[in-house]
Amino acid sequence: MTRAEFEVLNVIVIKGMCRTSSVADVLGTPEECVEETAAALQQRNLIARRGDLLLPTDRADPALGAFAAEAYKDLRSGPESDGLHERFERINGQLLQTMAAWQQVDVGGHRVANDHSDPDYDENVIDRAAKLVERLKGITGALGEHDPRFLRYGERFDAAFDRVDRGDRDYLSSPGLESVHNIWFEFHEDLLRSLGKARAG
Amino acid sequence: MTAVDHDSPARRRWVYRVEDAEPADVALFGGKGAGLARMQRAGLPVPPGFIITTSACAEYVTTGKLPGSVIEEVRAQVAALEHETKRSFGGGPMPLLLAVRSGAPVSMPGMMETILNLGIGRDAAVALAEATGDPEFVLDLTRRLQKGFSEIVLGADPDAVDDAVADFALRADGAPFGETFDRYWALCRKAVYDDVGIAVPEDSWDQLLAAVMAVLQSWTGRRAVTYREHHGIPHDMGTAVVIQSMVFGNLGSPSGTGVAFTRNPVTGERALYGEFLKHAQGEDVVAGIADPETIAEAAERTPEIFDELARIAADLELQYGDALDIEYTVERGKLYVLQVRSATRTPRAAIRIAADLLREGRIEPSAAVAGVSADHLRQVEGPRFDEADLERARADGAVLAAGVAASPGQMSGTLILDSERAVERARVGEDLILARPTTSPRDLQGLIAAAAIVTARGGATSHAAVVARALAKPCVVGCGALSLDEKRRTLTAGERVLQEGDAVSIDGDAGELLLGRVKVNRVGASNPDLSLLMDRAGAASGCTVLASVTTPGQARTALERGAAGVVTSIDEVLASTGRPVKVLEAVARPGSGHAALTEMHQAVAEAFTPLLAELDGFDVDVEAIDAAQLALPVGDPDLLRAQVSGLALAAERSGYAPTPRLVVRDVSDAIEARAIRLLGEEPAEDRHLWVDVRALQATDIDTSTSELLESLAASCESRPGYRIGMRLFGRVSDDIAARLYGLGFRLFAVDVDELRVARLALAKAAWRLSSRRAPTR
Repeated sequence: MTRAEFEVLNVIVIKGMCRTSSVADVLGTPEECVEETAAALQQRNLIARRGDLLLPTDRADPALGAFAAEAYKDLRSGPESDGLHERFERINGQLLQTMAAWQQVDVGGHRVANDHSDPDYDENVIDRAAKLVERLKGITGALGEHDPRFLRYGERFDAAFDRVDRGDRDYLSSPGLESVHNIWFEFHEDLLRSLGKARAG
Repeated sequence: MTAVDHDSPARRRWVYRVEDAEPADVALFGGKGAGLARMQRAGLPVPPGFIITTSACAEYVTTGKLPGSVIEEVRAQVAALEHETKRSFGGGPMPLLLAVRSGAPVSMPGMMETILNLGIGRDAAVALAEATGDPEFVLDLTRRLQKGFSEIVLGADPDAVDDAVADFALRADGAPFGETFDRYWALCRKAVYDDVGIAVPEDSWDQLLAAVMAVLQSWTGRRAVTYREHHGIPHDMGTAVVIQSMVFGNLGSPSGTGVAFTRNPVTGERALYGEFLKHAQGEDVVAGIADPETIAEAAERTPEIFDELARIAADLELQYGDALDIEYTVERGKLYVLQVRSATRTPRAAIRIAADLLREGRIEPSAAVAGVSADHLRQVEGPRFDEADLERARADGAVLAAGVAASPGQMSGTLILDSERAVERARVGEDLILARPTTSPRDLQGLIAAAAIVTARGGATSHAAVVARALAKPCVVGCGALSLDEKRRTLTAGERVLQEGDAVSIDGDAGELLLGRVKVNRVGASNPDLSLLMDRAGAASGCTVLASVTTPGQARTALERGAAGVVTSIDEVLASTGRPVKVLEAVARPGSGHAALTEMHQAVAEAFTPLLAELDGFDVDVEAIDAAQLALPVGDPDLLRAQVSGLALAAERSGYAPTPRLVVRDVSDAIEARAIRLLGEEPAEDRHLWVDVRALQATDIDTSTSELLESLAASCESRPGYRIGMRLFGRVSDDIAARLYGLGFRLFAVDVDELRVARLALAKAAWRLSSRRAPTR
């Protein structure tokens, strides 16, 4: 598997089912390039097409795992691997709590949907999320020294926050968009796969 | 405007005591500063403080440095505070601690949060320990300063400080508190320094100035700049900095802190409601550290304090015209009001409070309706388990597993164990309950497709929980008793083994997965509060809103929710009664002739009789069959006639007095329209032309579409007897309602679940439009 094939397949396996255009968005590469690589992956029966959707076949996971084991051998056996994972788990908990605070507020002991009527509260929560993303960039930066593709996460977060800051608040946690939580969720999966760790929950 | 001389820099003043700030001058003192000044003027007991103006920030932003006299002025103000409070900043015998907050004229992202407890250093700490006799309290304040300052100003991990001092123990060996403080401070310092390479200043003045500078710098932060550029807010507007002395709810007795609500935020009941935590600081209440007593309980001990609070609450509510929450602190028997804002409330409370305030004559109908949001309505109207059926199911031992209630709501449906299959089966409109061991990004599409979600692992803050809440779908996570076998497609819960496809129910409120399909009701009936608000909304918008329905049950719900009538379709009504395929096949057969048409006529009559029986006196618009023959110009006249006569028969049998309108799709020219009109027995007056605008709901309305809609609206006005209806699907946003209303449309059809939402949104649009037009009239 080539480097480009690995990167495209990695996105498809993480997302599970996606369009060429969204793979291109994630990687920040032109759609034609993704199309070309996808064709090669399809030929090798690593992905399948359903309409305009790309989806991984049963062979995708093992192939990806084998490539990652080799590519990230040094990273996995290196001294920082566990530290990076621990650092992530810690801020992951904080990010998820921040998302919960965005979605629900405590009213007289009841958790109710945040009706976003208190701009100060909302801005504080968004700030907390932004700070956590800045902290996450420390991790993607460290990983970026092993593989520059991890730096792309920083750019994706910035793009999402630009939307949020322009007032499009759905870009915080909406599952249907390239939202902060979706990008974070994908990074979580990517990190576990790259470091060869199992998911805790 | 104030008496501030903006034009002569030499005599310019940058810092004002709160007492001297003009509450109306939000541009100079920012939202928070002006708010504080307003509270102070109104005679509320607010802790004393001062404000650095937005002009100082603007000067700092344009010239890159703080105007020369700002620091001098700040020092003078602090000295005045010391005098007023009889405390000293950075020392004893009683130390003055300060809080710094940002306050721009408009709220925007990226601005600095409040930094508390500034002024703690060795001298102040020792003095405070002496004054309070409570060294642990002083260490706790130190921790809060270190944690808040390092997180907000320095960008450190908020857990770094907490972790560093988690095991710190006060020695009982009688060592001077100064030494204890030094050890404690060193631990915090190291943790912060290790994390971000810089530490919290030890000197009180350095702390204060660093906090002020951090506020000013946050104005030029990337996120704030992006926001201003997008919203056309000038960069030289600047933020004010509000500096306030801190009061202590843990100093002597009676002291304490709490939050009071002018009305019960859960039920909406009109009564002072809230908590009081003895001997505590504000953050303790927020963090839920200790068990507070209720205000009613606390008032028994010190009635005079809470009488004052009740008086303040009543005054404030009158002034704001809304239910409020009030943060307050009692320091040695003196009440201080720290913050007042519109109270967050449950959807149920939102409706009751809006209706009560309207009845009490405190607000106009427009403000009352504005107090209820679309999401409030959706939440109170969401599907709920039938109480009796839930009881029965529980008694029968239907509870399969319990977990964490991560997202509220109740739903029953078909168990599915794989996200891809969930996506496929959801296409045919099935209510699916997706069960997964845990979730990965691969499950996103499945989570979106499912009606409710259950996972075996993960807590209230897991990815699945975040996604479910964002989708407003019931979700239970961390059901440890569940295990999935993906190959055999089974879900095991203890002794019981379920197959994919089995019926299950999720209670997202109680956090349970149940076996079988618990009956789900859609709340239709109104309560007097909601009725009052909806009546005012309807009167304000003057719109006719119909509901899209298929079954008699939906029709009943639609009328309960105040629909002016319904829109339905022959295809869907036939499908819901289980007759569609046969009839449509018969009609579609080439040369099917008279027999098939007779069958059609009868099928329509039978299917529509129970539906029309629910709807006497209300508008009923019926979409004709969507058959290939009808796509041709003028379609198949016999087929149309069969439907018209079928409907007429149904109307006669059901006692439905008006004539249902037959709505024919894809009519594209005048001759065709005329031909269709000749066939029918529809009324000559009050004809409806429906426009399906679902494509517009998904995107912004561009100029050409807007022009098209405008000319459509205009052409309608010139032809009496016609109304153009906008047919919406799925969620109705305030935005689309406002745009269509603004274009002049007054007839709408929406999904049953969005009926009240749409009526409310249209009323809001009407009020907004009339308030904009009012000055010109």
